[in-house]
Amino acid sequence: MNLFRSEDHARNWDRYDEAMTSSLRPVTDWADIFANRYFRERGRPDFVSWTRSETGLSAFAELRRRARS
Amino acid sequence: MSDPGLLDRGYAEVLQRCVATGQAPHYTELAASLGISLADARSLVHELVALTPGWVHPGTDLLASFPPFNLQPTQYRVSIDGDQRWFAQCGFEALAIRWLFPGKQVRIEAPCLCCGEPLVVEMTDETITTIEPETMVGYTSAEVGGDAASRPFR
Repeated sequence: MNLFRSEDHARNWDRYDEAMTSSLRPVTDWADIFANRYFRERGRPDFVSWTRSETGLSAFAELRRRARS
Repeated sequence: MSDPGLLDRGYAEVLQRCVATGQAPHYTELAASLGISLADARSLVHELVALTPGWVHPGTDLLASFPPFNLQPTQYRVSIDGDQRWFAQCGFEALAIRWLFPGKQVRIEAPCLCCGEPLVVEMTDETITTIEPETMVGYTSAEVGGDAASRPFR
């Protein structure tokens, strides 16, 4: 999960895999995905319990969906 | 398996130490701060890592990565209000560090893995103030939240 100067730079990386081309996105898109509540709530004192709550599970499902789409 | 209350306290203790210092506590320190036995603290470290996309150094009880941070230096250097003492686990987790430092400027500096030329992202809470170069992209060769064995290599 890395940052590159441009799409061409990512495609020229020696570990680039065409099968994961869907993950090649502007850094602003990834910044938005990593603004999911799952990340925002990490600092709470009951974070582990929160991840198992309905809200936490929903946030994680949304994260997986956006990361894959 | 530790009870949920201990998992919450252990997670918060490790993460807050990382936020404050850029380093994770050893399990002996965790035992003292949580008031539990050394054996329980050692087990707790592994339980906590299993709950996150982090890892211990192979064959040890030493926290190597506790997202969004990496305790072993990576190419993702992170400065908070100009103070560089943190490393991000990966380029994507670097973008989530801001949520642990509300109101502060987070600056991410890294070399591009293709050419070694610099990348800079600056952000404060919701606002991204700098992306250099503007053509910057993110890419992963492994699924986000995917196979644990691949984590140190993605």
